[in-house]
Amino acid sequence: MNRRDLLVASAAVTGAALTARLQRRKYTRDFRPPSSRVAVLQADQYSDKLDQLVYEGLRLFNLNVRGKSVLLKPNLVEYIPGRPVNTDTQLIGAAAEAFLRLGAVSITVAEGPGHHRDTDLLLHDTGLGDHLAHRKVRFVDLNRDELIKTKLQASYSGLGHLWLPRTVLASDFVVSMPKVKTHHWTGVTLSMKNMFGIVPGSRYGWPKNVLHWAGIHESVLDICATVRPHFVIADAIVAMEGDGPLNGLPKHLKKVLMADDPAAADATLARLMGLDPVQIVHIREANHFLGNVSKERISYLI
Amino acid sequence: MGLLEELQSEIEARTLPGGGWASGNGRTVGIETTCYALMALRGDPWPTRRKATEALLRTQNRNGSWPAFEGDDPEGCWTTSLASITLRFMQSPHAPVKNALRWLLSNQGRESHWFWNWKFRTVDRRVRFDPDKYGWPWFPNTVSWVVPTAFSLVTLKQALPCCRTEHVAKRIRLGTEMLVDRACPGGGWNAGNGMVFGATLNAHIDTTAIALLALTAEDTPAAHQALDWLREAFGDCSSAYSLAWSALAFLMQKDRAADLCITRLHKTLSSDHSIFRTETLSLAAIAINAVGGGTNPFEVI
Repeated sequence: MNRRDLLVASAAVTGAALTARLQRRKYTRDFRPPSSRVAVLQADQYSDKLDQLVYEGLRLFNLNVRGKSVLLKPNLVEYIPGRPVNTDTQLIGAAAEAFLRLGAVSITVAEGPGHHRDTDLLLHDTGLGDHLAHRKVRFVDLNRDELIKTKLQASYSGLGHLWLPRTVLASDFVVSMPKVKTHHWTGVTLSMKNMFGIVPGSRYGWPKNVLHWAGIHESVLDICATVRPHFVIADAIVAMEGDGPLNGLPKHLKKVLMADDPAAADATLARLMGLDPVQIVHIREANHFLGNVSKERISYLI
Repeated sequence: MGLLEELQSEIEARTLPGGGWASGNGRTVGIETTCYALMALRGDPWPTRRKATEALLRTQNRNGSWPAFEGDDPEGCWTTSLASITLRFMQSPHAPVKNALRWLLSNQGRESHWFWNWKFRTVDRRVRFDPDKYGWPWFPNTVSWVVPTAFSLVTLKQALPCCRTEHVAKRIRLGTEMLVDRACPGGGWNAGNGMVFGATLNAHIDTTAIALLALTAEDTPAAHQALDWLREAFGDCSSAYSLAWSALAFLMQKDRAADLCITRLHKTLSSDHSIFRTETLSLAAIAINAVGGGTNPFEVI
């Protein structure tokens, strides 16, 4: 073997190693069900009627939540009058009521707002605090919960582990309740991006800038691989279009979407908004292990 | 028993067995929570304070920084400035604070690096800010934000004038410029993005108040505008947490709104203190005490 052969062989080995590294699976578990279920419910406005609508919607899925602790994770960002940036209070209340009727042993509404350190003020201004108190539902500020060091079940971000709230990890059934919005960094903010809110501000700051530097899409995938929502109830009655999460115009989609698979939920919501889901990095990648994006593997109950 | 004593009693009742206070329903020492609670209990009772101070000292990382909570990873974070302010206020030994100052001075927003500075100056202009003006991040290797910068400025400004080296003076100047640069166009501060994609964002009460504490005696238009904004905003505020920060800011700015804030704080804190977070109760106690003529831990020289 001469020096030229040696150089070629070295280059080939290096190239193969790099290719193998790039192609290495970045997730440890394949969550995809053979088929995912999605229901798109018609809802013209926010009203008391949502209680019944959500209950009947959940019954379509025959969920077994009897005796389980259910955690509802809405999207609570900021209070800006007239701008639909947060999951609506009445929808959150309706979901809490419906899961109780289905036999859940406890309901917790939990969120760690990404920009606002004063969660109490946000709860007051949005009306969520009073609404939950009226329904006797507990709220937990995930920004200030007890934390557990948690190994991430995917390696897109390179973070390795995150400190995550005990309240989330101890829940039997996690429901992601996003406000449907377009987003200036990630294209959309739906059920998977909504899970950013479980990452605690007390550990990662306001905003959770560590995740931004690690890559938003990458962090979304790692978080959802670690705490994959069992169910999605998305607020698309009045969605927001523009430079979300804070700037944009209301878009009256008049829908509440439910799904037993976050990837299927987000793919369907993206289509509802006129977007191609595979153009959204984290939805496209989620298709490999988190859930079903292809229409052929989604059964639409309504 | 007056409100201040009631608050202090409730805070003391929440002490962890090993000293210090936990955030939320946790069982481990939370540094931010412990700092506020210690400041709130400065007068008494001694055993609680001693154990909490010990908890604070034992949680300091070897590099001089503090973690977010006991048992956290050891790289350090924004609580370092808060712990320094607290230990100085508690008149604890100087060495831990000195080490913390050294760590703070070695830590800066990532936009200060030439590469990221270039990126934010040229190709990434979606968030309006001047990367030449940097302060402190929440965590190392991220960009500067308003609250950690404000707390760090308070820490550095509280350092004795003899310790104000050229480097310290430079960081104070840059941090101050960063706060001014990040102000919301309508006045005050939010987390640190006053303008994104050409759209203005609103300020937050607590963040504005904390930034104003850091800008005490700085005669800048941004501080005046923020003060005007805060006077308007606190009138409708229902949160004891934000009201307490506002009272402290008004006090430092020698603004009569401090008394109004305390009046509102009294109304907001219901008779059932158990429903409030320890951080909120502590800040309320600090504000009531300071506005009532007691010492203010955030006072800068």
